[in-house]
Amino acid sequence: MGARSTVSILCSLVLLAACGTVDEVRSARQEQATEFNQRGQRAFQRGEYQAAATLYEQALQIDVAIENENGIAINTLNLARVNQLLGKTALTQRLLDHLLEDKALHYAPAHLAEAAVQKALLRLQENDAAGATLWADKAAAWCESDCRIAGVIDNVRAGIALRANDADKALQLSERALAANRDVPLERANALRLAASARLLKNEPDAALRLLEEALVIDKSLGLPEKIRQDLLLSAQAHEKLGRAEQAAQCRDRAARIAATALK
Amino acid sequence: MKLPNYNQRLLTIEKRTQRFMLGAVGVMLLVLLMIAAKQDYFSRSTAIYFFTPNAQGLSKGMAVKFVGFKVGSVQEINMEPNATVRVRVSLDDEYVHLIGQDAKARLVKESLVGESVVEIIPGSQQVKQVTQNSVLEFERGQDTSTVVENLAAQLQPILSDIHQITSSGDIQQTLKNLNQASGNFRETVNQFTQVGVNSNKAVTSLNSSLETLDKAVPKLMDKADKTLDNVQSATTDIKKITNDSAGEIPSLVRNANALVQDGQETLGGVKRSWLLNSLFTAPEEQSLPVDGYVAPTQP
Repeated sequence: MGARSTVSILCSLVLLAACGTVDEVRSARQEQATEFNQRGQRAFQRGEYQAAATLYEQALQIDVAIENENGIAINTLNLARVNQLLGKTALTQRLLDHLLEDKALHYAPAHLAEAAVQKALLRLQENDAAGATLWADKAAAWCESDCRIAGVIDNVRAGIALRANDADKALQLSERALAANRDVPLERANALRLAASARLLKNEPDAALRLLEEALVIDKSLGLPEKIRQDLLLSAQAHEKLGRAEQAAQCRDRAARIAATALK
Repeated sequence: MKLPNYNQRLLTIEKRTQRFMLGAVGVMLLVLLMIAAKQDYFSRSTAIYFFTPNAQGLSKGMAVKFVGFKVGSVQEINMEPNATVRVRVSLDDEYVHLIGQDAKARLVKESLVGESVVEIIPGSQQVKQVTQNSVLEFERGQDTSTVVENLAAQLQPILSDIHQITSSGDIQQTLKNLNQASGNFRETVNQFTQVGVNSNKAVTSLNSSLETLDKAVPKLMDKADKTLDNVQSATTDIKKITNDSAGEIPSLVRNANALVQDGQETLGGVKRSWLLNSLFTAPEEQSLPVDGYVAPTQP
């Protein structure tokens, strides 16, 4: 048998092997749920939170009906997030509790970690530092080695430290979060803002301003009005500490204009 | 060995040339025959003549018609020593018995812009029929220019009369009076205008508008009528088409639906095929990125 024949046979075998790959078969219902989910994502990106909530609900309903655990977890978390933005804190709590306390279905630890982080954030928002710490610890427990929300948990902990006026700890955690969120602009900006707050607490306005400038650039690129406003308010504090009353006033004026739009 | 072959080829070429020449001569003869037939060389005919003061409007080959049928043609036009024109006409023998010696030849135009023909005006049936070298009386029919000339000749005296009447003193006086009356009327109108400029303007404008309307309305009505007709026609067509296709629409929709489904299935199949499945990643449900931001409490 010649070399050319051998090569031909080998190529044929490779092609046959390629034919043998089995693609995952998904039901029409599952595809429908995926479609609703994707439409919800697009609505969320446009800032149409109510529409996004409706679409996530529809996706969740289908996922519950076909008992798609992954889909249930994803859409419950998304729904909780949207409702939090809509100011429906109680509903957000119920959704997260439903996911975290579900004994019948088994969700992926990554999803449970995300739910726990959201719980921690809710507690923090209500100035419940102890509760926030508890849920942050739970989140860390579910967060395994390759956890994508490790940086978020650090940010939550930094936030808890700030509420406790522990500037050093907040700075340490936020810097760790910065390192962890090198490729995640959203969380990187959060970490920068937290670090800046810690610097301000430590009376280091120059350093705070540098951090805030970077955070502002990221938040503007992401188009997040509430965070831009927060960056400007913190910048105003820094300018005040530096004795630049006029610049501080300008930053507050800019923040006020953004607040007037009532966009989040 | 080569020479006999060469001679043979020469013979063949000679035969072919002969055939070609014979063919060409045959074609030429055929053409000549056709020309001869066209020129009535094969039909028996009788030559007759007529004389005319001039050859205007006459030409060789011109058709000769009798009660609308072509019965011959002009064969020759010659000027005689006395400066008259002799025209020889060839008549088919088939029709000669219908034309009497007292028939007339008349030059006429078949229509306003048509060709001129020589028309034979039948004479009395009792008179002996024309024979070879018979001479017919000729007259020219009235062409357009003649008609115009006649009309002009008739109008000439009428125009002269009008000129005479209008140049008379009575008419001049009447026109003068009319002019004066017109001036007075204009003055009155001006006074009226000064009294109520606005009203006048309005009236003038209204008048102008009414005149415009007067002119426009009939046109608009006409157009509207046509448009309504078109709309009615289109509606009728649509109604007819709808009625005709009413039974087909549901099946059409079903077929279209089936076609779309087939298309989706085909596309799905293509996407899932091992060659392309790496290009089309199946969409999956995605979770929103977790946001670790907490709005600070307001002091």
